[in-house]
Amino acid sequence: MLSVAVMVWGGVMLYFYTSGRIVTYLAPDFRIIALAGGLGLMVIGLFNLLMCTVPAVVPHDHKGDADAAERGDMHPLTGFLLMVVPMVLSVAWTTDEYSLAALERKGLYEAPSATSLPFMAPTLAPVTMEDLERTHRRTEDGFFEFSLMELFFASGDRQLQGVLDGLEVETEGRWVDERRNNEDGNRKRLYRLFMMCCIADSRAIPIILEFEGTPPELPENEWARVAGTMTFPLEDGVIQPVLKAERAMAADPPVEETFLRNH
Amino acid sequence: MSPDAQQDFALAFLSILFEGAPFILMGTLISGFIDVYLPPGTMDRFLPKNKKLAVMVSGLLGAIFPVCECAVVPVIRRLVKKGLPVSCGLTYMLAAPIVNPITALSTWKAFQGQGPWLMTSSRLMLGFLLAVGVGLIVTRMRMRTVLRAKLVDDIEREGFMETGRRTPLKSSAPGKLPEGARLVAAFRSAMRDFVEVGVYFTIGVAITALFNTGIAPGADWLDGLATHAVAAPAALMMLGFILSLCSTSDAFIAATLDKFSWGAKLAFLTYGPMMDVKLIFLYLTVLRRWFIAALAVGLFVAAGGLSVLVEHWLIPM
Repeated sequence: MLSVAVMVWGGVMLYFYTSGRIVTYLAPDFRIIALAGGLGLMVIGLFNLLMCTVPAVVPHDHKGDADAAERGDMHPLTGFLLMVVPMVLSVAWTTDEYSLAALERKGLYEAPSATSLPFMAPTLAPVTMEDLERTHRRTEDGFFEFSLMELFFASGDRQLQGVLDGLEVETEGRWVDERRNNEDGNRKRLYRLFMMCCIADSRAIPIILEFEGTPPELPENEWARVAGTMTFPLEDGVIQPVLKAERAMAADPPVEETFLRNH
Repeated sequence: MSPDAQQDFALAFLSILFEGAPFILMGTLISGFIDVYLPPGTMDRFLPKNKKLAVMVSGLLGAIFPVCECAVVPVIRRLVKKGLPVSCGLTYMLAAPIVNPITALSTWKAFQGQGPWLMTSSRLMLGFLLAVGVGLIVTRMRMRTVLRAKLVDDIEREGFMETGRRTPLKSSAPGKLPEGARLVAAFRSAMRDFVEVGVYFTIGVAITALFNTGIAPGADWLDGLATHAVAAPAALMMLGFILSLCSTSDAFIAATLDKFSWGAKLAFLTYGPMMDVKLIFLYLTVLRRWFIAALAVGLFVAAGGLSVLVEHWLIPM
């Protein structure tokens, strides 16, 4: 019975890896570890299942039978249920994304200064217009393609801010309602998650979108590409990254939906 | 639980479980093979005979055998059964997740631009001192007051004396098994350890996921304590306790907590790998409940107090 429980864990880990769903859950360096772990669990579970009739008493169990050796401190049924039920329920419940309530807790509506990521500074190199021209592509209509992380981070980097302020840029992220300073209803928010090791430790990286009129109707919390002019106004005592949007359209999700450390 | 809460819980639960399970497997495989192939009392040969010196050396073993806190518990459980003195086992268990090269590197990298050398060295030093302090206290305690009754029974059945030289009183079985049977026994032992630790890990991860996603009540009050000199380290230690992050990655979280002081971050990085929700359930496989409670409170006070003092001494106001 315990062999089956171990194989269930291994099977779930292998399924998430082979189906590609693992990219939502773990950073790349942990994905290969999860694959190795899933394979290891399957091997151990299968080995013990096939060898369950072989008499090989674990040294410190002196009860003299293999069943006793497998039992350990708890009843096998208890161990099986406690391992398998939460795992199966979670697999059934997961949609591979957080709800807006959880995202709010992860900083979706916090100002950049309250969620800044100082260790990202060395990875966000371009600080002059020449660097920017060299490292960023332009769209056909002339917008610089920027990652949302760079636009967000510029709020706390005066040098980068100076280069980006007034620049026409295009970026992508998930499209959600704006809840602050939005009396006219012309604002939206665009965010991506930043993951250290697993999605549980992720933080939301948001920027504000401001439209001249009513924002276009796009699916809530789905991917969108937005182009416009980048600005950094002071709002409520905090420098906010605000993209004065000219166009926005639904987009396919990127291969890596979350930003990752070392990437 | 609402459908939104279910999906949030499931996402956090699976991600933490996928992240931690391979490390537990590694630990239980090592423990399974130690169980079958390592003759009782072997660890004695690697440690000084002097108890205090042995505890101090145990605090540095993580530099040679680096393991995170998930993997170390099953290894320690098995090593203690094999005759490693409890004081040395606990010292290694508390120190190894911090005093190891992987954690040192991740801390140094995460704190680039925020005094990486100071934070890294302070974290390693504080982790070592706290672990050795606990080990030295445990040298004065009886094994039965620290370890679970069943573990002590197993140790006594193996024939180890409680104090003095840790030599077995009677020979043990491993050498008498044929090679094939030993391999089966090793895998059987590893699987049993994995299930036992895995059950507690599952419970710990479930609780962590509930707090992590804000489903559990009382998660928001932590944020309001960030600027208080004493409450800030306490708040971050509580956060570390609840989040149950791996010691190899927690520095990346700490570096982002810019509302909090340097000392509060040091407390977070020292206390978290030694005591968190998930670890409590893992510790239950080795230690008595009252000792875990005392350890949690003692480390909370010591890590918090020392972090505030270190900040006061080292960081110019």
